[in-house]
Amino acid sequence: MKTRSKRRARRAFWNGIAYHGVGLGTAFFFLAPFFVTILASFRPSAESGRPPLPPWPVTGFSFDAYHTLDGFGSGIWQHTINSLIVSLGTVVLTVAISVLAGYGFSRYRFPLKNVLFVLIIATLMIPFQSILTPLFIILAKLGLNNSLFGLMLIYVTLQLPFSVFMMRNAFDAVPKEIEEAARIDGARDIKLLVRVLLPLVMPGVATVSIFAFLNAWNEFLAALVLLSSNGNYTLPVLMTAVRAGRLGAIDWGAVQAGVTVMIIPCLFVFLLLQRYYMRGLMAGAVK
Amino acid sequence: MTTVPTAASVVLADIRKSFGSLEVIHGIDLSVTEGEFVVFVGPSGCGKSTLLRMIAGLEEVTEGEITIKGRDVTDLDPSERGIAMVFQSYALYPHMSVRENLAFSLKMSRTSVAEIDRRVTQASAVLKIDHLLDRRPGQLSGGQRQRVAIGRAIVRKPDVFLFDEPLSNLDAELRVTMRIELARLHRELGNTMIYVTHDQTEAMTLADRIVILRDGRIEQVGTPRQIYEDPANTFVAGFIGSPRMNLLRGRWVGPGRVRVSGVEIDVSMPVAAPPEGSEVEYGIRPEHVEVDRDARSGMPATVEFSEYLGGTRYIYTRLADGQNLTVEDRTNIAIENGQSILLSMPAGKGLAFNGSGGRIR
Repeated sequence: MKTRSKRRARRAFWNGIAYHGVGLGTAFFFLAPFFVTILASFRPSAESGRPPLPPWPVTGFSFDAYHTLDGFGSGIWQHTINSLIVSLGTVVLTVAISVLAGYGFSRYRFPLKNVLFVLIIATLMIPFQSILTPLFIILAKLGLNNSLFGLMLIYVTLQLPFSVFMMRNAFDAVPKEIEEAARIDGARDIKLLVRVLLPLVMPGVATVSIFAFLNAWNEFLAALVLLSSNGNYTLPVLMTAVRAGRLGAIDWGAVQAGVTVMIIPCLFVFLLLQRYYMRGLMAGAVK
Repeated sequence: MTTVPTAASVVLADIRKSFGSLEVIHGIDLSVTEGEFVVFVGPSGCGKSTLLRMIAGLEEVTEGEITIKGRDVTDLDPSERGIAMVFQSYALYPHMSVRENLAFSLKMSRTSVAEIDRRVTQASAVLKIDHLLDRRPGQLSGGQRQRVAIGRAIVRKPDVFLFDEPLSNLDAELRVTMRIELARLHRELGNTMIYVTHDQTEAMTLADRIVILRDGRIEQVGTPRQIYEDPANTFVAGFIGSPRMNLLRGRWVGPGRVRVSGVEIDVSMPVAAPPEGSEVEYGIRPEHVEVDRDARSGMPATVEFSEYLGGTRYIYTRLADGQNLTVEDRTNIAIENGQSILLSMPAGKGLAFNGSGGRIR
């Protein structure tokens, strides 16, 4: 009796070791690049050209790399703000439009509804690089080339098919009776949407927000093509300039610093919304 | 019933509903008196839920007029009709606490905070959910959720309560408890209640009046006793009662006499008798058929099998002409499968129906 319970305890112990060992190992592979980048960004400029091992600063921490980074373009703050304006604007517009569209597609019956929905989804199959030229011309006609707002509109357009699809599924998952109960309780239109339905589709909204933010934050090609003045560049465009180096010499320290700066908002947004996001992905998976 | 029915509370006048070209409700006229508990019952797809949803304003009325307390509400918004509805799936707001769920409709109508508080406290006391007010619906059991759903209806102080199969999601035991609870609630509040169910026990126990629907038409309206003892047609006769009423093919052989399976049976004398020799259906409830082993006359039948339920026993028999007949037997005489027995049917208990299923009265 005693030996059996002892044997069981020992097995549980080794199972625990194996379980956590695998977890730690996996976590290490995912986190290592972050540590390498962040630590390397604190190397003094003299060290930055050296081979990357060990990745941490050997002769003490320094902010040299960040100062160098600030020297590119119109300064790191300006470009960060550009990126934030475009990304947050994209999130707000995408969420606003896709919530309304998703609600419409989920709840109303109108002619050609399914055809329209399939058409919207079908635009996902068009590589946006192929329509960059017409987009450029359209923006120019609208007087929106080289403007952050114009870029934002492009991002929203690219983001919408997926977002509308996501939000329709989210609204489909909300039982009709809840909406009817709210109507009997006297909630109508905007009140119904904001007070009752929006909290129920939060996972969908979070998922749409994260995708919209990350895609807008990291997008490079459209930003490069549509923005023409230095002061309007977003971070990805700036980063290419940093990576291309000055007079052939690439300052790896500045590159690492730039990458670090670019990671922070993404981490922040993800951590803020991940609770809903996980549920959102699930909902999308089974629906 | 505590309140004396005086005025009409809900009046449906020639209500019709079509989905596209398909008409599902074919002109319903019904008047529900103040304080009455009316149950809509019928097989699935008979239109009972659609009818209720039309009264609630969740479904548009294609034709006809709905009046609640003398006010034409046919085209009004659900929130302006003076109704409250309890759904089968509870339909609580999952992101709000019980208190917020109860208070939501009052907040929407801009009721003062003090008044909201008072009504929520009152409703939760009536339903014994005061200790749950700060929980979320997800943390409640099925019965508690249903109470909250009913509470949400109570706080609105509606003229009419609408229930759409509110007990169907509960387990059998809880269903009985909640049924009694609902009856108590009706007695205490005295409001008009319209209740949809497909469960005939709920219909029989709760209703002041039962409305039996089939294919979008009313088959019969009456008190549970009227419906059970005096059904208007074979559908109503077969729908209410468990086990169902025996309906046997027979022939009208003379004034008040029907021949079934070669035996003549007395039924009460009708005012309008059908022509002699015409085909009729003879209906008798299982509990009215008597088995007597020592009887020398009666209808011969063979026992197929029997179910023993303690206080009572169902005996499934086959008559000489092959028709089936169920007997509910409370005597304890020994009966074996395959045995031949004689059945007697008291004259006052049998009902006769004409060839198209209507009652011969």
